[in-house]
Amino acid sequence: MTKDLVLDKVFRQRWTVKRALGIGLAVVLLVGVVTAIVLEQGEQAQLQTVRGVIGSEKLAFFADQRVKDVFARHGVEVEVDPAGSRQIVTATDLTPYDFAFPSSAPAAEKIQRDRKAARTYAPFSSPMVIATFDPVVDLLTKAGVVRSGPGYPTFDVQAYLELAAKGTRWDQLPGNTAYPARKNLLVTTTDPRDSNSAAMYLAITSFVANGGVVSSPDAEGKVLPAVSKLFLDQGYTQSSTEGPFEDYLSAGMGKTPLVLAYEAQFADRVVRGDSSVRPDMKLLYPAPTVLSKHTLVPLREAGDRVGQLLQSDAELGRLAATFGFRTADPKHFNDIVREKNLPVPQTIVDVVEPPAHETLERMLEAIAKQY
Amino acid sequence: MIRRLLPAVAALALLAGCSDEADPARPVGDATPGTLRVLAGSELADLQPILDEAARATGISVKFSFTGTIEGAEKVASGTAEQGFDAVWFSSNRYLELVPEAQKRLGTPTKVMSSPVVLGLPAAKVKELGWDTKRVGWAEIAEAAGARRFTYGMTDPSASNSGFSALVGVAAALSGSGSALDAARIDAVAPQLKQFFSAQTLSAGSSGWLSEAYQRRARDPGATVDGLINYESVLLSSPEPLTLVYPSDGVVTADYPLTLLTSASSEAREAHQKLSDHLRSADVQRRIMETTHRRPAVPQVPLDGKFAVKDLVELPFPGSQSAVDGLITTYFDQLRRPSRTLYVLDTSGSMQGDRIDGLRQALVGLTGADSSLAGKFSRFHGREQVTLLPFNSSARPPLKYEVPQDDPQPVLDQIRATATSLDAAGGTAIYSSLRGGYDVLRQQIDADPDRFTSIVLMTDGENTGSEDVTDFQLFHQSLPPNLKGIPIFPVLFGESATAEMDQVAKMSGGKVFDARSRSLSAAFKEIRGYQ
Repeated sequence: MTKDLVLDKVFRQRWTVKRALGIGLAVVLLVGVVTAIVLEQGEQAQLQTVRGVIGSEKLAFFADQRVKDVFARHGVEVEVDPAGSRQIVTATDLTPYDFAFPSSAPAAEKIQRDRKAARTYAPFSSPMVIATFDPVVDLLTKAGVVRSGPGYPTFDVQAYLELAAKGTRWDQLPGNTAYPARKNLLVTTTDPRDSNSAAMYLAITSFVANGGVVSSPDAEGKVLPAVSKLFLDQGYTQSSTEGPFEDYLSAGMGKTPLVLAYEAQFADRVVRGDSSVRPDMKLLYPAPTVLSKHTLVPLREAGDRVGQLLQSDAELGRLAATFGFRTADPKHFNDIVREKNLPVPQTIVDVVEPPAHETLERMLEAIAKQY
Repeated sequence: MIRRLLPAVAALALLAGCSDEADPARPVGDATPGTLRVLAGSELADLQPILDEAARATGISVKFSFTGTIEGAEKVASGTAEQGFDAVWFSSNRYLELVPEAQKRLGTPTKVMSSPVVLGLPAAKVKELGWDTKRVGWAEIAEAAGARRFTYGMTDPSASNSGFSALVGVAAALSGSGSALDAARIDAVAPQLKQFFSAQTLSAGSSGWLSEAYQRRARDPGATVDGLINYESVLLSSPEPLTLVYPSDGVVTADYPLTLLTSASSEAREAHQKLSDHLRSADVQRRIMETTHRRPAVPQVPLDGKFAVKDLVELPFPGSQSAVDGLITTYFDQLRRPSRTLYVLDTSGSMQGDRIDGLRQALVGLTGADSSLAGKFSRFHGREQVTLLPFNSSARPPLKYEVPQDDPQPVLDQIRATATSLDAAGGTAIYSSLRGGYDVLRQQIDADPDRFTSIVLMTDGENTGSEDVTDFQLFHQSLPPNLKGIPIFPVLFGESATAEMDQVAKMSGGKVFDARSRSLSAAFKEIRGYQ
């Protein structure tokens, strides 16, 4: 079975080459792998290689053969290195790259400023969501944290912050027989020291704690105690957003009753149809939420070309939507929602802006110091 | 035709690579295509059949070198892991990620399977405790333990992940606050933790040896241990059938992330990806569940019937290295039953030179001079009774110390001074000296019976005394149960008589440690996990 899969993969790779080179050559290709390698190199020589450093959430998209094929048709081969979005701004040497593609607008703005890039592209985005389970939805509805909302269920961040401030445990919720765990009622996030999704979560919670976007040192000081607690009380957290989301899917409610995720992570799993999303798994939209705006910053001409293609090529837009991203042209995403019956709203009303990069960084640093 | 031949060739190659190696922590050589060099926790050894199959299916074979969690974290943090390995594979990355220098060297993790750490007891005991009809939390378990209504074995938290997870789990659950542990919370629950650990009557440096020792004790009516705290997977495969107690307020679960190091080459990166995809495929996940009793890591494979409790609450884990290190230190110095440790040490003429120097260093290392992570936890602990019994042609006077809980340094300094002044001369009267050790222990046990007692026997050559191993065997058989059950840990060194040392370990339920291909310090440190 597995061997078949591997062979299938090999076959598919060859098939691509075959299409590019014509049926006559394909006969030769089937004879020997060595020939295939030589010819593949020949083909690559005609493509322009463009290198990018990207937020790891988009790795699967760029690794997809269909995506590679579209780029190849435009004469481009995109090579990407995955990195944390904060890391792209602060730690990565950008010299070898033609573009940077972090997963948040503040990170992109910072890069754009530093590198004096003329423009940026935001071809797709994904709102932050909270993935949970039916019994938890019921519990939190009773507790006033989950509301029916404008056509989709919302997670009232203000009500949540009040529960968290008191250090409420699950087993202290009145009438809780569904999940009487003796641990704090907290949304599971990633490590604020490493991960973009945790920074987005900080954007949401600091907005609510402050009653507006945090934009002054005073406001930072005011919100830090409450928002720090949301991270510190979790204790150890994982460094990549895939980690807690995978736990949510495989270990279930016991381990991860509420997990912060990108909507795209959930949508991607439903599109795949691999039965990893069970009927009792539900999405809540924080009110307010923020968008993780995947923003491409061209660092050289070749990078700009990739930005343009992602922004304007309909095929790439359609493919991005199959990975669960909301596309610049909403049609692509809406088509997938209809086609795959995705449990997501067409528009999300309560969306706020994240703080400026420097503000977000300072708050993250301040939280990191308390570990 | 060629394709059909390949598996056979691969199988042959694997057979050739299957020879037993003396040192499990050996380096595994330079990078070679198709090989992933992995620094791993020893409990991964049972995955070998799955990995053999993976090698046939993917062409990627795994070369393991085994080490403990904390020692492994140290190797990653210092960068030595990068020199010889492409990936690490421990039961969890949690501790590694708390060490900043290690965390930044970790690349893509792939969770392969999971297993919670739980309590296993014989069915009759569970019934006696009334736990067969209801689920209990850690607080009830700790209370029953404090009243000695059951006893258990657990691994050393500084040497092995299952003990470490149990310590974190019980501390988190008892702290009652529900959020992650910090130093103040640990102090607040110390009395309850002490109750819980008072029922721990067996310790070990590895999960495997713990299970073996438990089986042996189960057969020996003299000194039984009721149950074990270990991975669910280990407890489910125990030959003595055990009933698993899943604490209702939560567990700490090992999730076995096969983790690439950031230093890995692109070939290794590709190999890691290929192997990960294979291991996470539904068929392989099912086989892992069936053969190793671990839970699958992918949601597509449903749990089978042997997992009595499917949905487990996961307890929070501390968020900083200092909190974890503090918890381990508190465990050793305050919480666990204190140790009584007798060192029977060869100071005969053959030990002159480098050897006696090595012995001095090994002992000095245990007095706090070893500043490595693992070394920090292996020093003599607060409340520990340490007796050094040097011998040559006959036993010399025993040198007895008791390390105070609060201010250990002065006594540690005394031990260090004694160790530094050890000299080598004379003959090698191993067995009469070892016999003499029991006189010291008898006195100490009469005065204070409730301790982990063990003997380390270090000698570099053949016995020259008039009593031989057969005499000692007769003597040992005549001992009362409380002395007979004391494990002896012989250390092979120089020209040790291997067969005799094996015999001594076996008769006492101990274990032989080899210091012929590594330093005495390394062996002494490893033994700490068993004391």
